[in-house]
Amino acid sequence: MHSERDETRLEEELRQAAVRFDPVPGGLLRAAAEAFTWRTIDAELAELVFDSLVDHDEASLVRGPPERRLLSFQAGELTIDLEVTSTESARSLVGQIVPPRRADIEIRGADSAVMAGADELGRFRAGPLPAGPMSLRCSTVPGEPGPAIVTDWVSI
Amino acid sequence: MLAGAVTDADVSDLMTAARHGDKASWEALVHRYSGLVWSVARGYRLGQADAADVFQTTWLRLAEHIGRISNPGQVGAWLATTARREALRIARGAARTVPAGNAAMAALGHVDRYSPELAALENEQARLDAERAAAVWRAFGGLPARCRELLRVLIASPPPSYAEVAAALGMPVGSIGPTRARCLRRLRERLAGKVSGTAAGPLQGE
Repeated sequence: MHSERDETRLEEELRQAAVRFDPVPGGLLRAAAEAFTWRTIDAELAELVFDSLVDHDEASLVRGPPERRLLSFQAGELTIDLEVTSTESARSLVGQIVPPRRADIEIRGADSAVMAGADELGRFRAGPLPAGPMSLRCSTVPGEPGPAIVTDWVSI
Repeated sequence: MLAGAVTDADVSDLMTAARHGDKASWEALVHRYSGLVWSVARGYRLGQADAADVFQTTWLRLAEHIGRISNPGQVGAWLATTARREALRIARGAARTVPAGNAAMAALGHVDRYSPELAALENEQARLDAERAAAVWRAFGGLPARCRELLRVLIASPPPSYAEVAAALGMPVGSIGPTRARCLRRLRERLAGKVSGTAAGPLQGE
């Protein structure tokens, strides 16, 4: 039998091996430090409440195909539904704000952002986008009620 | 649980300061928990690109949630849970999923790429240490998936608490200790099989 001390020593050896062979990439450490500057303090957070990759769709009782992923974000009475279509390296989005309203939508990626506009029915589309972290920021437009909204980040 | 561990109270203070805009506190949190977040992603056998997405998404999500987390002292467990969920999403996603088993190959690839540098090392002890580390890492890569998942998180730097490990793996705290002991025993067996008859590592003959 090996003692607890031997176990701890082997675990520490393995930890040092991980530091050597699988460290956190330096670029990612810098990106995590920079993530702080993406903070939005003047918008309501719409949390991810449905993801067809992991949540069962009550209507169909089956998971959707991964290349057509459905996401829903919710903040109070407002919902943003998103369909993400995937190819090998690119993503495209079709979205709907419910209840419908016009909005300027900033689609934020890990290190870039693109703009899209939601029409009077709350519909918008964007793409092709790079795969990776994504979050939407919906600004209000003049004459439309409702607060600015920012969604949870999710990898697409 | 280990020397140098940051207490919940310290972490809570960092969270409060970061919430109020203190970038240095945020960077201290990144420094403290990046190893854990990375190890969760890698423990789920994601490749570098997918693991990078999990890592970035997890930190971006914390930035948005920082004022909304109910137990700021346990943000490590929150990060571990968030990273685990994101890793599972990506593992089920399209296009870039790495087939099971590739992580071990990738790990070996790392060892191979490292070799020319190792060979160039003049310091004999450093060379032996590096060989030993490579042998340990190879033996780890050959463990069953369940053991790799648990150990990869346990060996994050700095070492995570059992509460954080439990959150990272979605398993009860009580089953970590026994599973850890069993997996380390298997690692030791693999290591003994692979390196028997060669220069004795520190674990030989114990």
